[in-house]
Amino acid sequence: MIIDEGLSEIKAYFKELQLIEEDQHHPLGNSGRVRVSPKTEEEISSFLSYANTKGHSLFIMGNGTKRGYGGLLEKADILLSLAQYTGIVEHNPGDMTLTVKAGTSFQEIQNYLAPYNQKIPLDPFYPNHATIGGIISANDSGPKRLGYGSARDNVIGLRMVYPDGTLITSGGKVVKNVAGYDMNKLFIGAMGTLGVVSQVTLKLRPIPKYESILFVAFPENNLEEIQSFAVKVLDSMIEPISLEILTPTLAGRLTNNNQYTLLISFEDVKSSVHYQEEVIRSITPEKTTLTSLSQNEATIFWDRFYHQQPNGITNSSSTVAVLKIGVTNLDVIKIVKETELIGDSCHVSIEAHGSLGTGLCQMTIRGASDDVVFAIKKIREIAVHRGGYAIVKHLPFSLRKIVNVWGDKSPYHFLFEGIKQKIDHNQILNPSRFVGGI
Amino acid sequence: MMSVIRIDTTDKHIINLASIVSGARSILYKKVDLLAYDCDGFTIHKHLPKAVVFPKNTAEVSQIVKYCSENKLPFLARGAGTGLSGGAIPINGEVIISMVRMKKLISVDLENRQAVVEPGFVNLKLTNSISDKGYYYAPDPSSQYCCTIGGNVAENAGGAHCLKYGVTTNHILGLEVVLPNGEIIEIGKNGVLDEPGYDLLGLLTGSEGTLGIVTKITVRILKNPEGKQTVLAYFDRVEDGSQAVSDIISAGIVPAALEMMDKTAIEAVEAAAFPVGHPKDIEAVLLIEVDGIAAGIDEQINQIVKVCKKRNVREVRAAKDEEERGRWWANRKTGFGAMGAISPDYLVQDGVIPRSKLPEVLRKIAQISGESGLRIANIFHAGDGNLHPLVLFDARKPGEIEKALEAGSQCLKACADVGGTITGEHGVGIEKREEMRFVFKEEEILAQTNIREVFNPDNLLNAGKLFPTPGRCVEIKKEMKA
Repeated sequence: MIIDEGLSEIKAYFKELQLIEEDQHHPLGNSGRVRVSPKTEEEISSFLSYANTKGHSLFIMGNGTKRGYGGLLEKADILLSLAQYTGIVEHNPGDMTLTVKAGTSFQEIQNYLAPYNQKIPLDPFYPNHATIGGIISANDSGPKRLGYGSARDNVIGLRMVYPDGTLITSGGKVVKNVAGYDMNKLFIGAMGTLGVVSQVTLKLRPIPKYESILFVAFPENNLEEIQSFAVKVLDSMIEPISLEILTPTLAGRLTNNNQYTLLISFEDVKSSVHYQEEVIRSITPEKTTLTSLSQNEATIFWDRFYHQQPNGITNSSSTVAVLKIGVTNLDVIKIVKETELIGDSCHVSIEAHGSLGTGLCQMTIRGASDDVVFAIKKIREIAVHRGGYAIVKHLPFSLRKIVNVWGDKSPYHFLFEGIKQKIDHNQILNPSRFVGGI
Repeated sequence: MMSVIRIDTTDKHIINLASIVSGARSILYKKVDLLAYDCDGFTIHKHLPKAVVFPKNTAEVSQIVKYCSENKLPFLARGAGTGLSGGAIPINGEVIISMVRMKKLISVDLENRQAVVEPGFVNLKLTNSISDKGYYYAPDPSSQYCCTIGGNVAENAGGAHCLKYGVTTNHILGLEVVLPNGEIIEIGKNGVLDEPGYDLLGLLTGSEGTLGIVTKITVRILKNPEGKQTVLAYFDRVEDGSQAVSDIISAGIVPAALEMMDKTAIEAVEAAAFPVGHPKDIEAVLLIEVDGIAAGIDEQINQIVKVCKKRNVREVRAAKDEEERGRWWANRKTGFGAMGAISPDYLVQDGVIPRSKLPEVLRKIAQISGESGLRIANIFHAGDGNLHPLVLFDARKPGEIEKALEAGSQCLKACADVGGTITGEHGVGIEKREEMRFVFKEEEILAQTNIREVFNPDNLLNAGKLFPTPGRCVEIKKEMKA
C-alpha cells in the first residue's frame, strides 16, 4: 500500500508522468489511490518496473468501459490509465496489417482505416470509448463474430510490458506464424493479469461493398419454430455474418416489435447480399414478419446495438448486471427461453441476445440488488446444466463480492495459477480481477 | 491388462510398458523395428527411439506417460510422422507414443457444426465423412490424405486455403489432453467458446507436443461454399506476379487461396506426375481461387482478371470445369514431391513475409541461390506471404547437405529481416531452433520456456524442440563479449 512518502517518491521519480491522487469511491471499484497516465511505452515499462520492485499493486484501465468487469478489491495502490497512450504506430495498406497503441479507441481506428477501405473485423460494444487494449484484454466480441471471428482470430502480434518492465513481443506482423508458442492467445482475454498490453497488431479486412440486416419476428414466440428455421438457415449455403436471436424485450427496444426476433446480417458484394436475402425470404415461415435494413440504415442500427448494454462509464440508478453465457450453439435458444422464466420469477427485467452460430449469449439484468443476485445464480445454474458457463461482465463492486463473477474454478485452475505465478510473481497486476482470484 | 505379446528382452521398462498397452504389435523395441521411427518428414537428423508404444485409449496414454514421468524416461507423441521440422524425432532416445491406433471419428454434430475425433484420425477422412451432407473441415495441409488431426494440432498446421479460413487454431473448439505427469484434463468442454480462464486451447495448439499429449479433439466444421472458381495467370516477370497478388487483396477481394510458383518450381511440377502444360519460359504462375455465394463470384473473377491484365499478365483464364480445376490443384499440391523429378534431394523452408516484400525477398533468395551454387525453387501461399523455398541438392556430394541447410537458414534470415518470421505452418521442431533467434530476443524465448515449465517441469516430454539450446546461448554470449 502506498503511504505518503511513497507517493512523493513516485512523483520525484516520474516527474514527466501525469499523476493524480484519487480519494473518491467509485461504485464499480477497480480504482487506485493514485492515477498514473503514461504517454509512452518507456514510461509504462519504467513505471511497472518501479512498482514491481516496491510491491505496489496496479489496476490497468483504458477509458473505463469494463470497470465493472471482475475485481474483488475496491482500490489498488495505483490506477494505470492508458487513456493517453494512443495512436497508430504502423499501417501497411498493401499488407492489410495495422499496429496501434493500446489506449486508442476502437472507433478512432476504424475512422482512420475507412479512407483505405479497410477495417478491423471485430465488433466490440461501446466502440466510441472501448480501447483496443481493453477489447483484447477482455476478449470482447459481438454478433459479427460468426462471420469474422474474435480477437484470437484477428490479432497477429502483441507487445506486452511484463510486470518487471520487460518488453515481450509475441507473434509478429505477418498473418501466418507458428514460430514458438502462440503467446498472443495467452494474453488475449487475460484481463490484464499477465502484463500490460502496449501495442496490438491486427490483420485487416476490406470494408464490405454492401451490407444488410434482416429481422424475422416470430409473433407466437414459438421457440421450436425458431430453432427449425435457424437450422434451415445454417444448413443452407448462405453465409450470414451474424445469426442472432433477440428476446422480445430487446427486440422491442431496438426494432419496436416486441417479439422473439432473429437478426440475420450479410456483408458481401451487392449481388451476393441480395441473393442471400432472397433465400431467407423463400424459407421464412408463415405468420412471421420480415423487415430489412441496408447500408446506412444498417450501420445506424448496429451503432444502437453496440450501445444497448450498460457499461463502466454509463450511469445507472438501478442495479444492472451484464452476463456473458457460453453454450453449444443451438442451446442458446433454450437458454434464452429459460432465462425469460427466471426473469419473471425473480422480478427482474432481462434483455438478451445470443448467436446461434457461436453459442455466445449476452444479457442485461435490471432490478433490485437481491433479485439481480438471485437471477444471476439461477441463470448460471441453467448454463452449467447445459454444459456451458455464465460470467458477469458488469456489476457494481458491492455485489461482485457476493456473486462469483467467474463461476467455479476449473479442474485445471492450477495451470492458470502456474502461468500467473511464472509471469507476475509479486501479483501486482490486476490482483483478484480474474478467475479463481487470480 | 495383461499383455498378450511375448517380450523378448530383459529391459524392465520395456516389460512394464508392454504391460500397459494391450494387443498384438502394441510395442516395438527391437532395433530393426525402431528404424522406421528414427525421423519424420525432416530426414536430415536421425535418432533411434527407446521403444514405440501404441495405446488405444486415453487411459493407456495416461498410464504410459505416468510411467515415463515416474521413471524419468523421455517420451514424445507421434502421429503419421509427416512433420517437416523434426518435431517427432526422438533425439533423446524417447519412448514414442504413437497415436495411430486412436483413429476414431467419435461424433459429428452438423447442427452445431462440430465434430469430435481421436488424434490419429486422418485429416482428409473428416471431410470425406461429412461431404455428402455438404460440410467440410477447413485446414488442408498438402499432406492431408495421410497426416493426422492430432499432429495438425501440435503443429498448428495450415494449408492452401487458410488465407480465407484460417489455420488449425482457428478451428479447434476443445481438447482432451494428457499432461506430462499423466493427469487428464479437458479444455473447451462441449466445444463451448471462450471458457473462462487463460486460453489454453490457443496455447496448446502449435506447441509442437511439448506441453501435453492431445487425446481427443473437438473441431469446427464448415458448410461447403456454394460456388467456387479458380483462375490461372502466367507472368513473364516475377515482379508483376507479386504486384498482382498485392493488388488482388487491395481490391477488397478475400480469395480462398492465392498460390504462386516460380520458374524452377514450374520446371519441377511439369516434369513430375501431374503436368498441366504450364509454359516453361514464364517467371511466375498464380493460382487464385475464389469461393462463397455463387451470385457474387463472377464479379470477383472479373476484377481479378482486370488486375492481372493491368500487371502485364501473358495469359489469364478461369478453369473451364471441375476436372481442370482438380488438375491445377493436383499439380500445385504435389509441388514439393515434384522436386524429385529435377533433383536427387531437396530441403523445404517455410518463411513468412509481409506480402508487399515479396519482390525484395525473391531477389534476395535468388542471390542466396547464386552464392551457394544450389538451385532454389519457390512455391508460396502468396496471399498470406508464406514462402516455401525449396533448396535443391545432392546428398551424395560431400558437404552439400551442410550447404543446403545454410542456404535454407539464410532464406529464413531474409524473411525475418523484412519483418517476417521463420515458420508459417511447418513448425520449428529441431530444424529451426537456432533460427528462433532471428525473431525472438533472449527474454522472449525465456518467456516461452517459462510457460513450458508450468506444464512440463521435468522437460521429459519432447525435450530439445522449438527453442535454441541454452548451451549454445552461453557460447553466443561469450562470442559477443569477446
